[in-house]
Amino acid sequence: MSLSSAVLDYLQAQPGVTFKRLYLQPPTVLAVLRRMLPHLAKNIIMAMLFMPEPFLEEDLLTWIRAEARPQRDEAMTVLEQLHILTLVPEPPTPRAYRLNTAFASSLRQALMGGGSTNSFGVPADKDAPGPKRTVEELDKWARKQWEAILYYMVGSAEREYSREGNISSGTRKLLEMGEFIIMRGGRADITKGGFTFLLQEANAQVWTLLIVYLENSESVSSIHTKSKVIENQSKDIEQLQMDPVEMLSFLFMLGSLELGQDYNTESLTKTQFHMLEDLHDFGIVYHPPDARGRFYPTRLATTLTSSDASLLSNPNSSLSMNSGKGSIILETNHRIYTYTSSPLQIAVLALFANLNSCYPNLVSGKLTKKSIQRAVEKGITADQIIDYLRTHAHPQMLKNQPVLPPTVVDQIRLWQIEGDRMEATPGFLLKQFVNANEYRETAQYAENLGVLVWRNDREHMFFVTRIEQLQQYLAKRKTQAPRR
Amino acid sequence: MDGVDATVRGSVRTSSAAPPSLLTIILDTNPLSWSHLSSSLPLSAVLKTLLIFVNAHLAINHANQVAVLASHVDNVAWLYPTPDDGDASKQSSQTNGHTEVADEHRVVSNKYRPFLTIEKNISKNLRNLLTSDIPSAEALKSPPLLAGALSIALAYANLQLLKADPMTSDSASTGTGAVGAADLDAHTSALRTARSGHQFVSRILIVSVSQADLSSQYIGLMNSVFAAQRLNIPLDVLRIGERTAFLQQASDATSGVYLTYDPPNSTANGTNGAATASFSSATAGLLQTLMQGYFSDVAARKLLVMPGSAEVDFRAACFCHGKIVDLGGVCSVCLSIFCLPLEFTSCPTCQSPLRVPKSVTTKPVAFARRKKKKRKIGDGGRDSAAGTPVPN
Repeated sequence: MSLSSAVLDYLQAQPGVTFKRLYLQPPTVLAVLRRMLPHLAKNIIMAMLFMPEPFLEEDLLTWIRAEARPQRDEAMTVLEQLHILTLVPEPPTPRAYRLNTAFASSLRQALMGGGSTNSFGVPADKDAPGPKRTVEELDKWARKQWEAILYYMVGSAEREYSREGNISSGTRKLLEMGEFIIMRGGRADITKGGFTFLLQEANAQVWTLLIVYLENSESVSSIHTKSKVIENQSKDIEQLQMDPVEMLSFLFMLGSLELGQDYNTESLTKTQFHMLEDLHDFGIVYHPPDARGRFYPTRLATTLTSSDASLLSNPNSSLSMNSGKGSIILETNHRIYTYTSSPLQIAVLALFANLNSCYPNLVSGKLTKKSIQRAVEKGITADQIIDYLRTHAHPQMLKNQPVLPPTVVDQIRLWQIEGDRMEATPGFLLKQFVNANEYRETAQYAENLGVLVWRNDREHMFFVTRIEQLQQYLAKRKTQAPRR
Repeated sequence: MDGVDATVRGSVRTSSAAPPSLLTIILDTNPLSWSHLSSSLPLSAVLKTLLIFVNAHLAINHANQVAVLASHVDNVAWLYPTPDDGDASKQSSQTNGHTEVADEHRVVSNKYRPFLTIEKNISKNLRNLLTSDIPSAEALKSPPLLAGALSIALAYANLQLLKADPMTSDSASTGTGAVGAADLDAHTSALRTARSGHQFVSRILIVSVSQADLSSQYIGLMNSVFAAQRLNIPLDVLRIGERTAFLQQASDATSGVYLTYDPPNSTANGTNGAATASFSSATAGLLQTLMQGYFSDVAARKLLVMPGSAEVDFRAACFCHGKIVDLGGVCSVCLSIFCLPLEFTSCPTCQSPLRVPKSVTTKPVAFARRKKKKRKIGDGGRDSAAGTPVPN
């Protein structure tokens, strides 16, 4: 759920107006329904979709079993946060829920067909000039582009793998903005976030990167003044000024397209056409340089709105890079065997394992205290390692319950804790407040923000991890104080 | 250091993602029964509704699958997946649809591709089925081949289950290597204990309209029901028209949903306009019934209160006359049910000879019971086997 929750977090931060516009597109509604809602919520929506009247709260409560209360609360919270369900305040009648009208009509349209929104992509003319691309070619392209990005990141951790792929400066900048890498003296250094990114499944990686892309398009466009000239001039991500709603709709639409089919770019908006270039760099779409009028979604795009479970259940559709069928066997004696020939997977493994022999299709090594602690020093957590091993476990390993040998799992954690006797938190110490009141309120504010690490009420000082908002808060207090 | 505890194994990955689910629909396509309904609820309208239902099922999860079977007059036909590419991989069926659909840009750009493929396949196959062979009048009155359709649906569901979970299929293949009843048990228990993360759930929806009574297929039907019970597949029944006891029992045994849907009768309203109005309301009602009553899969049913009538008619039909009996005789070999008093000396279903004591065939029921009680008190039920037939 980590991946859909990333998207969910992003969406929940959006204002209500954004939702209204988002829900006008059937593919978006379909994707939201499929990816972001708990199972129970889907059932509630379907029950309400063709209901002529609002669903009485009382009826809803009787419909869902009493013991499923936690699931119900979860479902209702998500539905309300995404502005899908609203409580109808009708004083004479009992409380009732109503589906968002835009959402309902788009979903009905998606299920029943009809409309003329061209929302599921306009396929290109059959007899358009230029050669056709096969699915294999597209897979190859997607893999090459995506692995280049991963290589770049791994390469920044391990020198020997560096500079194998060439990624565009825009992508590089994006990685930097997402704090996956830090540029230090012209050399990219991978961060903790970067490791988290690397150890995710492919689908989650794509979404994580896309969300950084979305977030930055927004923040950057609000900083820079809007000028069309720059937008056309350069495709650097830094200068993107695009509407996040259109971008999101486009991404969701890509998720509903057919692999191996080329689509016409004419129906795209300017923003979406512009996005094509960047998505082309990521390997999510293929925009042939010799035929600018059409584009192919790759497997990375068409699986955007499918969940990880579907990738597992359908081995044909999973990318053979670092997702799909697992290949790692971990024994109780800490030995690790991996059936792979992918340099990328070997590189990732080398981050936390001591590899000692390499055969054409097999790498073997050992998890040692040294190798784990080396990884921990770099900022990889034990849980990340364990999670990676578990998600990439060989089918034979999956037969075990639990999947990984518990002794090894415990040992990895213990090795991490060993280095964690002292935890360093960079941050700011605030002290010497004017009065107790100011101290108390500021500390409370910091706690609400979630940045408070430690406080001492007697000495009137506290410690926070971030200070930007506190500074604003204190400044505001200062300006308000004289007035009072 | 005592406080250090790294043994949080966290092996229970809270997979709140629902398991992929297979929905198999068995549609009764007896032309005679549908022609009775044509004024209130024509087949085309039901098909449209079912397609929306199917789309909704596919929409909620990318890995959800669908299969549609027609239980026709004298055969059972696949509507989806189309038999030719039913066995082939998904890819081939998709490329199939792809070349076919590429000509119709306008439609494609407004409809999600998988929905379109299914819709085309189903309507094409159904048209072929209905136009290809015209059954005889005699055949039309016979009951639909429901038992056969159920067996096919169960076999398909089992196949998909094995495909979906390589773990259980591994153990299953080793299991079927050595034939035996014990292996069958091992297989089913493997299916049941399949790890919750990857579990694949399926359910079967029977849309039944035929008036004809199913007692001729009673044995096949019940065998399928027990197989479904074992595989944890609920049999949902949507009955259009009057109740049928057997289908209700089937859904009750497998904890499925049984509802009867009575389309608002439009024939009473003479005018054409009224007829079309009630036609749409009948469809809308059917759609809402499907969406609320039948939409949830096994995972969601744990959370929801499912509709259903409190009382289930558990009475069986006797095999000799087809009437529903309160108290009957049961053949000890094939479990066929007969009404009392018995009229024959060998079981008409399995031909095994029945030697029934006179007391069962002739004496009234109340008297026999009283006799039994007396004996129990007397000496530990010496003649307790009196009721069961003894092979000659």
